Amino acid sequence: MARGLIRAARKREMSLMHRPPGEEPQDELAVTPPKTWAAGVPAVTHALEYSLEETSVRRTGVTLLNMNQVGGIDCPGCAWADPSPGHRHLNEYCENGAKHINDEATSRRITADFFRGHSVSELAERSDLWLNQQGRLTEPMVKRPGSDHYEPVNWHDALGLISDELRSLDSPDEAVFYTSGRVSNEAAFVLQLFARAYGTNNLPDCSNMCHESSGFALHETLGTGKGTVSLEDLHHADLIFLVGQNPGTNHPRQLSALEQAKLNGARVIAVNTLPEAGLLRFKNPQKARGVIGRGVQIADRFLHIRSGGDLALFQGLNRLLLESEDARPGAVLDHDFIASHTSGFEEFARHARSIAWEDVLRATGLARADIERVRDDVLRSKRVVVCWAMGVTQHKHGVPTIREIVNFLLLRGNLGRAGAGACPVRGHSNVQGDRTMGIWEQMPDSFLDALRDEFGFDPPRDHGLDSVNAIRAMHEGRVKVFLGVAGNFVMAAPDTDFTEEAVRRCRLTAHISTKLNRSHTVCGETALILPTLGRTEVDVQSGGEQFVTVENSMSEVHTSRGRLQPASRLLLSEVAILCRLARRTLDGGAGIPWARFEADYGTVRDRIANVVPGFHDFNRRVTRPGGISLPNPVNEGIYGTSTGRARFTCNDWEMPQAPEGHLLLQTLRSHDQWNTIPYTNNDRYRGIHGSRKVVLVNPEDIMELGLSEGQSVDLVSVWTDETERRAEGFQVVPYPTSRGCAAAYYPETQVLVPLDSVADISNQPTSKGLVVRLEAVGVRSSAGRPVPATDG
Amino acid sequence: MTTIEETVQLAVPVRTAYDQWTQFKTFPRFMTSVVKVEQVRPSITHWTVGLGPARHEFATEIVEQQPDTCVEWRSLDGRHRGEVTFHETAPDRAAVTVRLQVVRPNVVVFLADASGLVRRVLRSELAHFKEFVEGLGEGNPGWRGTIRNGRVRPVESEPPRSHVPRWPVG
Repeated sequence: MARGLIRAARKREMSLMHRPPGEEPQDELAVTPPKTWAAGVPAVTHALEYSLEETSVRRTGVTLLNMNQVGGIDCPGCAWADPSPGHRHLNEYCENGAKHINDEATSRRITADFFRGHSVSELAERSDLWLNQQGRLTEPMVKRPGSDHYEPVNWHDALGLISDELRSLDSPDEAVFYTSGRVSNEAAFVLQLFARAYGTNNLPDCSNMCHESSGFALHETLGTGKGTVSLEDLHHADLIFLVGQNPGTNHPRQLSALEQAKLNGARVIAVNTLPEAGLLRFKNPQKARGVIGRGVQIADRFLHIRSGGDLALFQGLNRLLLESEDARPGAVLDHDFIASHTSGFEEFARHARSIAWEDVLRATGLARADIERVRDDVLRSKRVVVCWAMGVTQHKHGVPTIREIVNFLLLRGNLGRAGAGACPVRGHSNVQGDRTMGIWEQMPDSFLDALRDEFGFDPPRDHGLDSVNAIRAMHEGRVKVFLGVAGNFVMAAPDTDFTEEAVRRCRLTAHISTKLNRSHTVCGETALILPTLGRTEVDVQSGGEQFVTVENSMSEVHTSRGRLQPASRLLLSEVAILCRLARRTLDGGAGIPWARFEADYGTVRDRIANVVPGFHDFNRRVTRPGGISLPNPVNEGIYGTSTGRARFTCNDWEMPQAPEGHLLLQTLRSHDQWNTIPYTNNDRYRGIHGSRKVVLVNPEDIMELGLSEGQSVDLVSVWTDETERRAEGFQVVPYPTSRGCAAAYYPETQVLVPLDSVADISNQPTSKGLVVRLEAVGVRSSAGRPVPATDG
Repeated sequence: MTTIEETVQLAVPVRTAYDQWTQFKTFPRFMTSVVKVEQVRPSITHWTVGLGPARHEFATEIVEQQPDTCVEWRSLDGRHRGEVTFHETAPDRAAVTVRLQVVRPNVVVFLADASGLVRRVLRSELAHFKEFVEGLGEGNPGWRGTIRNGRVRPVESEPPRSHVPRWPVG
């Protein structure tokens, strides 16, 4: 039965790829046992199948063979670092990167006819899977007030509509400029320059929703907002923690680094609520042992932790390390390092010793012996790296959790030396670079001063709006214009219904995009689609062929040069669109040479060199093979904190609690998905086929809640306000999640994340640790009142 | 584990010898067996060495570094380690001693070591260094920071390399 359903789902998948789907896929859910290994030959076949069905053999060859090569196309799929030049494979990409890049290189096109045949309200009923499958956007489109259709508009008029609207606002702070992490350094720099010259710091970005907690915690404790490790450090670590991350799906090339580390003798401890395939075993399709052998075991130890228990885990671990030091004075802690490079140790130690074990065990769901075994691993290891992702950052206490991880690293001096350090694993390919370029609503005065000195205008100093506050401001009518550069804001944002209401209240929304997504269909009174070049495409300006630059998760800045003919002659690059818009909006361009910037991106890089520290001689250095490696001050012996030292911190926590009859929900992505966009309704590593509307629940919880496998339920989140947030019609799937913890796909369940539910300090929406109840369909409680499904 | 030690006497001040030695990227200029050196960080260097068409790459961590005194390193793969010490023998004279230890040799290194090739190459390269540093007579000012237990201690409170964006990255 299951096999038949899987075949049907696969067949549907294949037919979708041959031509744009007319209708939404309506496959039945089929569930198979979760995989216990990632990649291998199936990864290659799936990647090639998808690529070849999207586009031609030639284009597939061009994209794949240039991907992540020196002088080639930087894969927009993720921000994982590339091996150094000379050490890259001929095929230096993963399954998901190949699918993503050929999703962009697709041969399908959306023309004006498509929009004549589909009204905006009709498109708003479609899934992102369907919208994405329609192909590349090819010409600027406008939806005028009162109309329900997009219609063609030329670039001059399209940009004129935006600039007229911007110029008519009472204050520049009535506009927001959103960036997604695909945007190049050059476009990001131009965007923030335009926004600030226009007069606002309203620069929300996707970082606000993914690693904001990491940035705040690292900046406060280490004086740097970025991770401290390189690939070389990972390769030569003795012990690597993978906390709240799923490398097999979200950054598969990390598995190659982990494989190398394992072959060099490292141990790996995975900490997660789900035993993901990529945490267990990796079959490297580029190696014989991955094709015909058993591959490499990744996690030597898997801690099946409760959702949100990571802070308690590291606090318990830190206490154990302090007690080991008591038993063997001088043999456990790095006293020399603590004395000479840190502050706050005594207070931290007092606090750590005061934690109660019963609290730690309840919060983590682990046995004390589990944590003691981790301590033993740590004591045997001279060099430790801790990697983490959104399983940590998207909790209410994401910032204190990362601070506690830093405490853990500091205790044994695992910072500022080879093979050790902190590794926040970022998703979007240039999410780190965009922030480096000044896309942040709270940029420090030093940056704004440099901008002033370079361009001769005084940038606004008041902090702008981040993503959450931008949504609130749009909803309250304080923001009237939304410009999105890449991304799918309404789906990436929390509290989907509220966010959509907010966006619909705008006078004008405009998106610079390569493909159609829901953010084009949920729009303001006037809406614009501004189609742009993809990363894969040749970018020719009047100054000649251009390249752009990006920064990966390990602070390496390098070039990306497109190779394919653009999807349409009418596409403008992101830099070109922004420069033209700036020229139209700002009187006389505010003395900034926008036309030169558009003609030659090298002139933008020259200005970046003058404004952003560490980018001196940018144009020359970035074109060297491998580009520029930005030093991390921690590895230079510098801690730019308020004390000039790495800071130990005391972190109190409140255990995420689900009342009886409730579960803690986390969102996650499927293997056939890139950020908000599903490619199919399958998730083969987790054994889910044909449907994404599933909730993964521990079998014992299913029994305890009086539910049954395959039952249809609504997910209802419990929050302090009166609003009922409901995701309807999800099927219950028994899955080895931690007890009391459930998981469901992002972005379908973003509707459950209240806008006010944010991480302390970072204001990052909490897509993890949501308290939900599962209501059997047809058995609804009164709004906002938690009623366990069992009671129904 | 085998240890190979070689010393060379130099007619330059110890500071000149140290400054030249610690400009690792210049090694290919005077050492025939060093093809390329990249300095990833003050404490990490990446080496490509070779004889004839053969090439071998490895990364090293500098574990200890004291200006005009010593540089101690280990390869990150743990196969070999070494140290170089600098001594003032007279006001304008210095002795440089290199000590190499092969901890876990692979076949090629084992054969090279057993046949005395490693020692011969080391001796010859030190002679090249002597020729180079004495020929220059003075070195460019080198990095004067220290490294202890693999951890960098810069001289300046804000070394130029640490001038990079430090604001939080989401």
